[in-house]
Amino acid sequence: MSLEFAYYPGCAAKQVQKEADWAARAVARELGITLHAMPQASCCGAVSLRESKPAFSLAVAARILSEAEAQGRHLATICNTCLQTLSHANYRFKNEPELLENINAVIVQAGVRAYKASINVYHLLWVITDQVDPALLQQKIKKPLNGMKVAPFYGCHSLRPAEIFSVKEGQSPDHLDRLIKVLGGNPVAYDGHDKCCGFHVMLSDATEMRTMVANNCLNAKGSGAEMMISPCTLCDMAMGAYQKPAENAVGKEINLPEMNFAQLLGLALGISPDTLGINRLHVDPSAVLASRKVL
Amino acid sequence: MPVYTFRIQRNQQNAQGVLETRYQDYTLELNETTTVLNALEELKGDQDGTLTFRQSCRSAICGSCAMKISGRTRLACKTHVGSVARDGIIELAPMANQPIIKDLVIDIRPFFRKVHQIKPYLQDGPEKATKVDRSSYDQVNHVTQCIMCGCCYSDCTMKEVSEAYIGPAALAKAFRFVSDPREGQKSARLQELSEPGMMWSCTRCSMCIESCPKDVKPMEAIVKLRTRGMEKGFVDGPGPRHALAFHQDIQKWGDLNEFTLLQRTVGILGSIAELGTALHLLKKGKIPSPFPHQAQGVEQLQKIYTLLEQNPVDVETKAKEVVPE
Repeated sequence: MSLEFAYYPGCAAKQVQKEADWAARAVARELGITLHAMPQASCCGAVSLRESKPAFSLAVAARILSEAEAQGRHLATICNTCLQTLSHANYRFKNEPELLENINAVIVQAGVRAYKASINVYHLLWVITDQVDPALLQQKIKKPLNGMKVAPFYGCHSLRPAEIFSVKEGQSPDHLDRLIKVLGGNPVAYDGHDKCCGFHVMLSDATEMRTMVANNCLNAKGSGAEMMISPCTLCDMAMGAYQKPAENAVGKEINLPEMNFAQLLGLALGISPDTLGINRLHVDPSAVLASRKVL
Repeated sequence: MPVYTFRIQRNQQNAQGVLETRYQDYTLELNETTTVLNALEELKGDQDGTLTFRQSCRSAICGSCAMKISGRTRLACKTHVGSVARDGIIELAPMANQPIIKDLVIDIRPFFRKVHQIKPYLQDGPEKATKVDRSSYDQVNHVTQCIMCGCCYSDCTMKEVSEAYIGPAALAKAFRFVSDPREGQKSARLQELSEPGMMWSCTRCSMCIESCPKDVKPMEAIVKLRTRGMEKGFVDGPGPRHALAFHQDIQKWGDLNEFTLLQRTVGILGSIAELGTALHLLKKGKIPSPFPHQAQGVEQLQKIYTLLEQNPVDVETKAKEVVPE
């Protein structure tokens, strides 16, 4: 089966969270998924653009979706907020023909191909766990996690509102749990796996954001987690890069290594840590990885 | 019929008046479509008369029986045991983010104080319209379904870490008045809602949309409040400044300029306060380039933006007619 997608990494993966993009490309190559560049795609605008300029935000989404549609491919992303923003717009375009017509009337005047609402928006994680042949994935694992206790942090924007997504996780998300099991790890159940990482209030409500990070990490750790993974570049930023500021804010030590799902998958596939940008992580995972013989 | 185990959080005051928490298991043989409320009544009647919970209408109208059921806040009268059991176990706990009185009963006063804070009544004033078009109901429709059960408040991820935050139910109620043509103080309301701890403190995690048993979609109302607030010129604060930065960048670069985003959001002084964090991020090269990648065809985005500014397109979601359940 040919797995070809228009690849939309999102702004964070192009700038501060480059390692998630490197890892996504490396694991895709290994698993026979072709990720095609989208040279015209802009920032999706996130919920911020929906707030400041609602019509413009739908037009921006239509332009992005139209580029993937012109390639004849579904779109795959590695950022939950891009996933939610584009899924939300796509859900509306598929269910509100008049809205699609109105937005198309504007983008066509600017030289953009009209969007026909024929494609789906996927997370790369969903592609890997639902569309890649499980036997192939199993066979490619060179460095199993040897029982590593991994906390799945799903991130809100891949879960809610459930109705908008082409793959519905709802209140019992399981994609990360399934991936962790395939890699030979033990998924950890904990309070916080479907909560907010706080990224979107990082600047407006700084203390609250850091408290969210600390609560989620401490709950995971309290349930036995040695490692946390997320499918989202923004959650990675919050739970990983902001873990130290969170420790300072709540006055407690956390020290829970966090990485993107594609990085841990990449390590299990035997891809070199340098290719996966493991050295760009703020909480050093080498001790955990070494103890489970993944490194 | 399947046997269910109810793992119920018991909260009781000891002799010193301090609340003590423990978990107690009860088992019941039930049809899977039995409601959690019916099960609780059976437990109280047949097994343990001391078990305390709040209930009234049994019809998802009064909102009294909201409680944490298997990790999420739901109405006990509207929830089937079979839909929430995990390996035959159903966990019951009082709502979160509110003081516990006894067992599954919480003190609802702090929640209602937050609701009263937004003045939940129509006010006279300069923006009052006396002619009400039928279409104006499109916007208030969803939010008038709110029964003030507090499910959203209990599951709100911001409420969990912020005493000050007003919470989703109060903001949905505020939207109901801001979008009512008869309201005379729309701008004054939006100004108050732009203060810290109000509409800009929502994380937009969408938890309230999932938790609401009446499809009120509080977060959608919060998003619309923010749009209306910015349109009225209430743009002073990190929330609106951050939101406004997006459409400026998308027109100019296509992509977000994360390098200048911080300074534009929190200002120079705020940036200095964030310096420690910035240095921490810099250690791993996590400071964005001042010259982000520019997408091809940015001029298309500029054109689209201009066209929409000249001829605005109404894209707001409209609620459908309410059909009683």
